[in-house]
Amino acid sequence: MIPPRVLIKTYLSPLIGMTAYFMQRVTGLLLLFYLLLHVHTVHEISGGPLAFNHAMDAFKNPLFRLLEIGLLGIVILHALNGIRIMVIDFGVATRHQKRLFWGLAVVIGALIFIAGALPLFMHSVWER
Amino acid sequence: MSRNAFAWYMQRITGALLVPLLIAHFWVEHFMSATLMRGDLTYDVILSRISNPWWQAIDISFLLIALYHGLNGLYGIILDFGKVGPRAATATLVLLFGVGVAWAIWGITAFHNL
Amino acid sequence: MNRRIFINRSSSGSKSRWQNYTLECSPELTVLDALFSIQQQQDPTIAFRCSCRVGMCGTCGMQINGVSRLACKTRLTELDGKDVFLAPLPHLSVIRDLVISLAPFFEQWRKVLPAMRSRDAESQELAIVPEDSAYAQHTDGKRDCITCGLCFSECGVLATNKHYLGPAAINKALLRVLDPRDTARAERLEILDSSQDGVWRCHTQMNCVAVCPKGIDLTESIGFFKRRLLLKNGELES
Repeated sequence: MIPPRVLIKTYLSPLIGMTAYFMQRVTGLLLLFYLLLHVHTVHEISGGPLAFNHAMDAFKNPLFRLLEIGLLGIVILHALNGIRIMVIDFGVATRHQKRLFWGLAVVIGALIFIAGALPLFMHSVWER
Repeated sequence: MSRNAFAWYMQRITGALLVPLLIAHFWVEHFMSATLMRGDLTYDVILSRISNPWWQAIDISFLLIALYHGLNGLYGIILDFGKVGPRAATATLVLLFGVGVAWAIWGITAFHNL
Repeated sequence: MNRRIFINRSSSGSKSRWQNYTLECSPELTVLDALFSIQQQQDPTIAFRCSCRVGMCGTCGMQINGVSRLACKTRLTELDGKDVFLAPLPHLSVIRDLVISLAPFFEQWRKVLPAMRSRDAESQELAIVPEDSAYAQHTDGKRDCITCGLCFSECGVLATNKHYLGPAAINKALLRVLDPRDTARAERLEILDSSQDGVWRCHTQMNCVAVCPKGIDLTESIGFFKRRLLLKNGELES
């Protein structure tokens, strides 16, 4: 009933800590799921050169590359917000938790993401 | 310290350890010596790295630390639903521990073919 | 300027529904003023609570446009959008319309043994805590709780786990545990250390800090216990 615009503004400003919490949980679960896939993949590729090459060909698919870049983003968000949580837990900067989120998790996160994703993106998605 | 305090503390310790481990892992896999993009990431390159016991130790430690962090986090999520009493909470802990052990074995045996 | 005020109405046994009223709003009007105006001129059946009207008593807490706030301290000009949505505080029992019972709040409050257990209950001496004492300094800014329940209502953990003690109760426990005159420290620490209800359920969402009308750093109070339980096994210097 409450207009979405009002709720979005609420969860981006006074209640940003709640948004960060949701994000931490969602990214955590996604990463746990990814770990499942990853262990399975390592099993696959360790079956000898043929299995390895077969898997590597599948990974050249642009969709996989995009998902991998997405994974990078999720890892960065979870890790930097995790650092922010540790800073808050030390009792150092509870007053600054919103600034910590936007500065640390988002701005620095975006910089690291671009640094990591750009090489991946440029080489893989455009070439066949 | 209590069991809860220890688990809370370990979640932060494992989280902090995972940061450099992940950076190293991502760099080694994607940027270091051979890369998929340059076309020189072959089975032999991986084999030589994985056969090295130091890399195996790092990878296995990485897996165990990540499993602890992830499953401990999952346990926290389950407790937050507020629907598990003390006995169910202990049962969940045992279950997650079992899942963790099985998953760790599954992960460690990924190297068995090499 | 006209604005629509939507009020979430319910009574025991009936489902809640939104009812709207249009009000001519002058700039200085607070939500509480608006409620009085609606009650006096449009619909005498709407139920809401208030007392001091100046943000001291904590009685007029309600959910305003999705956030728990005091109605007397919220000016309509602060609220985004044309329409204003008023609902009873979440996580508490609704009696009627915007009137809630703080019973769930105080049930958790009582679990931390909020009363001081003094060394000598029969003593006739005043147990004074000087203003420059360590206790006064450590609890600076933490003593102003008016038990309004806003933190309890806004807490994201309480949204799913009704066993969690909540920020106000834990802050109250802090005031007692740090108090040099108190003797029930160990009992309180055991309650605070509990898996499902205790301080470990706090995930530093900091919703409580965002809504506390007294500006108490509740997350810091809870974090204090986490660090103490971890590092000193609950030990504190007196």
